[in-house]
Amino acid sequence: MAWLVVRLAISVSLLYTASAVFEDQVGKFDWRQQFIGKVRFALFDTHSQASKKLLVATDKNVFASLNSRTGDLFWRHVDKTGPEGHIDALLMYGQDAVVVVGNGRLLRSWETTVGGLKWETVLDTGSFQAAALVGVQDLVKYVAVLKKSAISLHDLSSGSQIWVENLPDSDSVQYQTIYSGGNGLLFVLGVVPNSHIVIVEYKIEDGEIMNKKSVEAAWMSSLESSCAVISSGILLCVDQITQSLYTLSLQSAEQTEMRQIHLQTLDLEVASGFRPVLTSTQPNPAQPPLSEFFLQLSPDHHILLQFKDGLIAPLRDFSPSYLAAFATSGERTVAAVMSPKNDTACSINLFSADTGRRHLDTTVIYHMDPNGGKPNRLYVHAFLKKDDSVGYRVMVQTEDLTLTFLQQPGRVVWMREEALADVVTMEMVDLPFTGTQAELEGEFGKKAAIQDGLLPMVLKRLSSQFILLQAWLAHLWKLFYDARQPRSSVKNEVTIDILSRDEFNLQKMMLMVTASGKLFGIDSKSGTILWKQYLENIQPNSVFKLIVQRTTAHFPHPPQCTLLIKHKDTGLGSLYVFNPIFGKKSQISVPALPRPVLQTLLLPVIDQDYAKVLLLIDDQYKVTAFPSTKNVLQQLQDTASSIFFYLVDSSQGKLSGFRLRKDLSTELIWEVVIPTEVQKIVAVKGKRANEHVHSQGRVMGDRSVLYKYLNPNLLAVITESTDTHQERSFVGIFLIDGVTGRIVHEAVQRKARGPVHFVHSENWVVYVYWNSKFRRNEFSVLELFEGAELYNSTVFSSLDRPHAPQVLQQSYIFPAPINTLEATLTEKGITSRHLLVGLPSGNILSLPKMFLDPRRPELVSEQSREENLIPYAPEMPIREEWFINYNQTVSSVRGIYTAPSGLESTCLVVAYGLDIYQTRVFPSKQFDVLKDDYDYILISSVLFGLFFATMISKRLAEVKLLNRAWR
Amino acid sequence: MCRVCRVCVAALLLLAMRASCSLDIKLHDDEDEDEDAMFQTPGGDVRVRVSGRALVPGVRAQDWIASARVLLDGDKHVGFLRDDGSFTVSDVPSGSYVLEISSPTYRFQPVRVDITTTGKMRARVVNYIKTSEVIRLPYPLQMRCIGLHSYFIPRETWGWSDFLMNPMVLMMVLPLLIILLLPKVFNPSDPEMRREMEQSMNMLNSNQELPDVSELMTKFFSSPKSHGKAGGGARGHRGGAPSARGGASRRKMKD
Repeated sequence: MAWLVVRLAISVSLLYTASAVFEDQVGKFDWRQQFIGKVRFALFDTHSQASKKLLVATDKNVFASLNSRTGDLFWRHVDKTGPEGHIDALLMYGQDAVVVVGNGRLLRSWETTVGGLKWETVLDTGSFQAAALVGVQDLVKYVAVLKKSAISLHDLSSGSQIWVENLPDSDSVQYQTIYSGGNGLLFVLGVVPNSHIVIVEYKIEDGEIMNKKSVEAAWMSSLESSCAVISSGILLCVDQITQSLYTLSLQSAEQTEMRQIHLQTLDLEVASGFRPVLTSTQPNPAQPPLSEFFLQLSPDHHILLQFKDGLIAPLRDFSPSYLAAFATSGERTVAAVMSPKNDTACSINLFSADTGRRHLDTTVIYHMDPNGGKPNRLYVHAFLKKDDSVGYRVMVQTEDLTLTFLQQPGRVVWMREEALADVVTMEMVDLPFTGTQAELEGEFGKKAAIQDGLLPMVLKRLSSQFILLQAWLAHLWKLFYDARQPRSSVKNEVTIDILSRDEFNLQKMMLMVTASGKLFGIDSKSGTILWKQYLENIQPNSVFKLIVQRTTAHFPHPPQCTLLIKHKDTGLGSLYVFNPIFGKKSQISVPALPRPVLQTLLLPVIDQDYAKVLLLIDDQYKVTAFPSTKNVLQQLQDTASSIFFYLVDSSQGKLSGFRLRKDLSTELIWEVVIPTEVQKIVAVKGKRANEHVHSQGRVMGDRSVLYKYLNPNLLAVITESTDTHQERSFVGIFLIDGVTGRIVHEAVQRKARGPVHFVHSENWVVYVYWNSKFRRNEFSVLELFEGAELYNSTVFSSLDRPHAPQVLQQSYIFPAPINTLEATLTEKGITSRHLLVGLPSGNILSLPKMFLDPRRPELVSEQSREENLIPYAPEMPIREEWFINYNQTVSSVRGIYTAPSGLESTCLVVAYGLDIYQTRVFPSKQFDVLKDDYDYILISSVLFGLFFATMISKRLAEVKLLNRAWR
Repeated sequence: MCRVCRVCVAALLLLAMRASCSLDIKLHDDEDEDEDAMFQTPGGDVRVRVSGRALVPGVRAQDWIASARVLLDGDKHVGFLRDDGSFTVSDVPSGSYVLEISSPTYRFQPVRVDITTTGKMRARVVNYIKTSEVIRLPYPLQMRCIGLHSYFIPRETWGWSDFLMNPMVLMMVLPLLIILLLPKVFNPSDPEMRREMEQSMNMLNSNQELPDVSELMTKFFSSPKSHGKAGGGARGHRGGAPSARGGASRRKMKD
């Protein structure tokens, strides 16, 4: 019964806090973009001519089918993250695609039209080497998987294992490739580096070893990178040291050593330091490969060669050429070669593979993005046209992970920015004012205006009003003009030139930094990419930090953002300064950072150009200021004694606080050591700098006030125990004052382990951990209060707070796993807060903070009811109405970014992971604007009705009065 | 004033402490978990496959399986659905997991799957509060769709019924109806009826201190006397009758 009462109370309270989506709001202010990641394998469905399928497997453990005409996803399957979901190989035959997953752990077959699984088999352990389709008598029936020490053959239609054999001498021989030419035999090729090649011949029916031979090859270190099988079982290898090609017939028993062909005899030479690459093609797995192959001799030199009667003859030399690829349609195999045309464009041409002759009218021009990277992969889809000539489409992947799909004669059919599948950090920047808006703002801002006197100010006012009127008329005219045009011809293109801040500042510029080193500027309203910039020479495991130094508020100074790029291992960093609206690199000179950067600090101090000062602390605790003009240094000297910062050394479990000295050196103020033998520091978080707290305290049931402990210098430190045994593991939280080093509070959650997600805001910390005893996620909330009196209500100083805050804590069960956690943020902090929880299912849950209130009472009392406290219930509710992204799920969500808008009720939310989803949330409903279902018709009809009623009744009254006067 | 505050804070703190204590009790009260222990040692060499079948009645499997996944404890282990709705999650080490089918359209009840170190398996109802409670479910799993996700809340729409059922409106309209209709139902000129009404009025108005609702209403809704006389003379006779009577009877009582 009591339970029922609690439930009832919850449901009643929900009526007031619900922030759900209405069905008619779908797509109104939210959008989602789906990505796949860096393509590792791509196969075009050549099964039928009209097929639009393009199967891709990517480094994000995604296996997907794209529509090759539009670039949209047909379906997409996201496997578990990490190496266990890694896709090792993708093979396709007919309607089926076979995928090897998790270092050869799983073999899956997919039905490609629907996207359903056909079968799945678990393979034996052992690191994966190669996989191939095996055909017998023109029919592809099997798939063979080569592991480090075993080979297995599986039936293609059911996945059942036909046979598995251990490889001979697998501890000394590195088996690397398999080959089958459709003649009932399966060859496994292995190498003993710098000694010899081993070739084992298996019978396909039962796995019996038919033959085994070893061939001297002292020059060879790896088969995989330097060899290929061509033309009815000829192993072809290339070696750059001896500058030779080697051939070996796999089947013949007589040939016991490799035949050497000097490249010189072909008038060829490998560029020094370049590892030559052989590319062959086997259009049908049941038939031997073609005898033509590509040899790449330098980064921009390919040559098409042919093997005939034991001789190798060059067919065509492509110099210069960046990329080359084979493609087959029906019986005809073609080769596409990309060669540079000029500085900004490449041309792709088609050649017939067997003769090397160029196909006429097959040139496709590929324009390179000046802000992008070089093309590095070419995927060709060849098809037969009606007149039996070969047509083709190409997909080009570049270093910055742009996929471009081109059609003859160079039309870009679609483009995907796959770098966005791995967003590392992001910011939202206000859009600039238009000229007229800036004019109007400037009128009040300028100091000169006050000295002008009355009359000039009036004139100025009038003139700016006139400009506004003009702008409005122009807008009206445009509306009218657009309305007359047929709908299709009106382009809704968004460009940066027409973008300006809207009335409520709801439309912003999203700056996204991706792991590949590509920066994006995206319009938050439509999701259009407005600019992109690829930063070359970014180490693959760099960490990024994006800092907004100057917002758009300081017209005519352009806004300025700084990206700190730091190498993960060495810690050496560099700064990249750019304009966030246009994406252009700024000309400002950047300080050199010769030493590893430990910490950055954005000060509220501004220089004469209104840029906030960024301090960078290196490993010798020296401080570099950026910008470092005289003005800034002077200001820093004045305020140095009140600038503090902290450093975290998680390897030694040390937190230390420093103070800035006048000469930009630092002194150690405090140090907290958390012994690493017991626990390690996992994360440290302060509060967000742009956060506002509107109310200083909470009014309680008896009309007294409980004041919040609002320490802006408070750090939340999360630790995890080094002992991972589930009985002894724990999660700890320390609240430490960043200026004095005083530990304000500490709490320990026993029998708990990470990953811990937490939010630190206002006077509370919310964290989630895994309760290993009960195997469930639990939320815990810490709230800090000063008490009924405020010690110093005017200003907060960490150095002068004698009383320790009162800490309240409560924990709740959360009935779902969690990927990420963030809190909503509004401009003035009046709106109630919600927590945004990213779930593994891809939904974003908006959980009212009201549920995470440590003052939720066990027993309902008059006072608690007065305060609107929800009675305590151990389990947190999850309601589907709270999913702010309804069915637009965000796959493997990694982060949520929140930003305030110009409306107090509205918070902008961006969730990123594999997908990007942007929306707005209204934690306390839209209390400051009219609802979008506001009934204008009703209200105006009532108004008009009343108006007419008064008119009529007035007339009637007149008539009546007149009548009475006559009586 | 200050003392009151302090008392209040103390009370509050007490409340909070009690809350956190009782929470502790709540979260950790079920201690009987001896049989849980057998699932707790993670690792071991045993790797099993969890299999089952998911069903959405009335919908072809092809239409929903491409966007659905089988998740074990978040995305620790992932499985995919075949076109007959069956699934297997391969390569799962021993432990206890919550298996759920995540689909953007259809809703499924999650199931807890326990795998012992020897590879034995059982399925049971997920209960996060009493984690050791065992309500067995069939294995291989039978996941049945329990409806569509309801992501949206309906808009409040304006309708006549809503308007009329509004308590304010009811309060205004009903007395009006009574005032207008009652005189027509009863014939006030009938002397017997008049006597009866007078009696009942006396009974009702026994407490003179309380303001009489009906009287208030009649005061509000009947036109002022001067107006009534000046306006329609015919109406005054019928409609005004009960109110005049009520007023008269009250005067009588006062005397």
